[in-house]
Amino acid sequence: MGDTKKPDKDSGNPPPRPLNPKQQSRRDFLEGAGTTAVVATAVPVLGISAANAQQANAASGPTTSIRLTVNGVSHSVDVEDRWTLVELLRDQLDLTGTKIGCDRGECGACTVLMNGTPVYSCSQLAVWVDGAEITTVEGLAQNGQLSTVQQAFVDNNGPQCGFCTPGQLMTATALLNNTRSPNSDEVRSALVGNLCRCSNYNAIVEAVVSAGEKQGGAA
Amino acid sequence: MSEASFSGLEPLNIVGNATARVDAVERVTGEAKYSRDIKLPGMLYGQVLRSPHPHARVRSIDIAEASRLPGVRAIITSENAQIVWGAGSISGGRQYNDPTKEITLHRRYIFNNPVRFVGDSVAAVAAVDRHTAEAALALIKVDYEELPFVLEPEAALADGAPAIWPEGNLCPDFRNNFEPMVSDIGDVEAGFAEADQVFEERYETGFIHNAQMEPRSALAHWQADKLTLYTPSQGISNCRHDTARDLGLEDHQVRIVCNYMGGGFGNKNQNQDADLVAATLARVAAAPVMLEYSRRDDWLGVHGRWPTVQYYKIGAMNDGTVTAMQMRGYSGMGPYRKNSGGISGMDVYGCPNRLRTIYPVYTNRTTSGNFRAPSEPHGFWGIESMMDEVAYKLGVDPVEFALKNMRRPTDDRPFTNYSLDEVITTGAEQFDWASRRRATPGSDAGPLKRGSGFSFMMFRAGVGTSSAIVRVDSRQNYTLFVGVTDIGPGAKTTMGMIAAEELGVPLSQLEVVSGDTDRCPYSVGESGSRTTIQTGYAVVQAAKELKQQIAAQGMPSGSEVLIASATPVPNTDGKTRQCFGAHFVEVEVDTRIGTTRILKYTTVHESGRIINPTTARDQIRGATIQGIGQALHEDLLYDPASGQPLTTGYYRARHLTHLDIPDIEVTFIEVDDGYGPFGAKTAGEAGIILAPAAMGNAIANAIGKRMTSLPISRDKILEALA
Repeated sequence: MGDTKKPDKDSGNPPPRPLNPKQQSRRDFLEGAGTTAVVATAVPVLGISAANAQQANAASGPTTSIRLTVNGVSHSVDVEDRWTLVELLRDQLDLTGTKIGCDRGECGACTVLMNGTPVYSCSQLAVWVDGAEITTVEGLAQNGQLSTVQQAFVDNNGPQCGFCTPGQLMTATALLNNTRSPNSDEVRSALVGNLCRCSNYNAIVEAVVSAGEKQGGAA
Repeated sequence: MSEASFSGLEPLNIVGNATARVDAVERVTGEAKYSRDIKLPGMLYGQVLRSPHPHARVRSIDIAEASRLPGVRAIITSENAQIVWGAGSISGGRQYNDPTKEITLHRRYIFNNPVRFVGDSVAAVAAVDRHTAEAALALIKVDYEELPFVLEPEAALADGAPAIWPEGNLCPDFRNNFEPMVSDIGDVEAGFAEADQVFEERYETGFIHNAQMEPRSALAHWQADKLTLYTPSQGISNCRHDTARDLGLEDHQVRIVCNYMGGGFGNKNQNQDADLVAATLARVAAAPVMLEYSRRDDWLGVHGRWPTVQYYKIGAMNDGTVTAMQMRGYSGMGPYRKNSGGISGMDVYGCPNRLRTIYPVYTNRTTSGNFRAPSEPHGFWGIESMMDEVAYKLGVDPVEFALKNMRRPTDDRPFTNYSLDEVITTGAEQFDWASRRRATPGSDAGPLKRGSGFSFMMFRAGVGTSSAIVRVDSRQNYTLFVGVTDIGPGAKTTMGMIAAEELGVPLSQLEVVSGDTDRCPYSVGESGSRTTIQTGYAVVQAAKELKQQIAAQGMPSGSEVLIASATPVPNTDGKTRQCFGAHFVEVEVDTRIGTTRILKYTTVHESGRIINPTTARDQIRGATIQGIGQALHEDLLYDPASGQPLTTGYYRARHLTHLDIPDIEVTFIEVDDGYGPFGAKTAGEAGIILAPAAMGNAIANAIGKRMTSLPISRDKILEALA
């Protein structure tokens, strides 16, 4: 592989090698990508010393202890100061229903409710939510019963790929908590911060309007 | 609220009835596990370092400091991990062709030197957590020698342009010849000589990122000689084969798992470099590695619709008969030929004299790849803008012009069925084309100008091979095994409905197992709108086989099961099989600030028999809205001076969101032509093909100026009106 062949004239990459697996053994691949490469190129591919590996768990940065309630369960967590709320939810609390679409406040896939208000959880540091009450998509169904808006998403094909769905549901839940039976314009305005690249917008609006009609009544 | 309407066929027992997704509950509760949601014990996190330069030679890479960072477990670079990404660059863009991959001239590696676009991969790190991996990337020192770069396809072919590959910047074809793609029918010069008038115009279109909500990720796990990849894939069978080949493994040594994925729209066909990088990091680190792309990584390192320049020349008689059509096109492929660079659209016309010449060109922009109907929306926008302009200049209603000039079946080229007249006339009537269209474009008084546009198409709906397995146990529980992944259109549900229909059992009595190459047979992949037609047909055949077994042997008892499989190789008896569609849209342009508002959008499609009316409706609505985004907003802009990409994200690319969206009216004219599963045809790509063309024509009808550059953004409208 690369360590055994001269780079070709026009690029630092080696000349094309056969793609046929019969001509390139698994051993070649492993050697090329593995320890042999370290020796041949003097580049420490695996170049992590034993001492370094032992320090692996010391890689974390400064931490802060916080308390928060997520879906009605209270947690006391030591969070790294660089963690975002969505990292806390997904990586530490195993609540992977909340998705990361952009990680920079553009798409809304990570929307959760913080004290009842929709927020982008990628744009909140975990240390900021000390004392907060968080609701994620996992907290919408009660006793195995889908919430009204979840059921409306099932009935009206709210999800296509489903990746934006948790965020759409959280914003819609906040809307329906405040506006019992919103019209389609109100739904569009409320959900404007939740992108859907499948562009299933018509169905999502239909689902939220129908959920509002079902729950009915005044706020 | 707009409900879709259906005409032509009665629903069957299950097929044709609106059906909720079989996995809808998982999708609304957060239970659905996407690739990035999976955790394995001891799992590391991977990140990729990307080139900040559009074209540069890497003199050296210093990883010493990065490898000393506590928690870093593996670093691989272009200096020590030379792995060809076979599907990353293919001569002729022939993505599913192994022999072509063998001879491909311009190979793409997982890390390249020189780097050829901003975002080209240079190195990758695996570390105990995401932040440590990010920190390690920042400690890798790369010494670059910057090289001249070129961004635009026409400039890249000019004399003296920086050569991205030694042979120059025209991409080689699948035989490694440096020739453009030519389609020459009839005698175009004779056609121009015969014409009363000849019209010419230049059109250009932008790069459109697929922008699926789920950024690329891949979790690689080696167990002895076997690699398992949890990766978003639109074709697990192709992904397995490609990955095995690139890593020097046999197919059976690779397992691809994808139970849910957050969209793809074409850019997750085959294997991806992320799969190969994750696999290599995991092998080196001797631990599972979750490789995560950021949104910017995804925008640059993954692929989208190629930008094009299209020169049209049309000859026509004064009565509206087109006598000659010519197009010379340039497609900007980025520095690697991942896909075709096609520019389609002229083929929907019957004109006997047509010459099309397309130059796929290397540039130092990000690599282009497949996006939903890869060659169509930009091409249909170009040709149907051109033809709309010709129609108005000849004083002919564009709908009449289309009906007069569109391709029709001939004795030597019969179709399985033909619905183009019906979709166009039905749409015109539903939309009230006669009264909404401005006979004189731009004739509204005042700053708010309304106008209407129309476009039409046919698109491939051919049949082909795929596989399915059906099993029944003694409790009459049926299990369907299909190698599909449900990237959003609802393939699991559709496949289940087809099986349940053929078996004559309720959908609830059937489980669908999909998205795992170790559990499912070959499937063609979620590209080319082929899953329903091809894998769906295999499901029908497997179900028929199982019914025969049951009839012969009776239902199984005790621990027995009956299993049937099918890998049919259907054909259409030499007939052309197409789906058909027409879109009509009315817009209002605020000529003071250049904004475009949609007042009414009507779509009519013939996609054969509709399997699930709910998901089919939303394929059309969603694809149409994506096409509207292409028409009005989306483009990956580059700074010409620095070669830096400027619009790498949803906000900067101005993706449409709730407040921008009109109700899309959908009508399906249903037909059973006797092919495919119960007569089903293409739906997933159909909607996007027509939206840019219809939008462009409506804007021209409103403002009286032909817009020749996509996206038709506010600044371009104001400039045209100035």
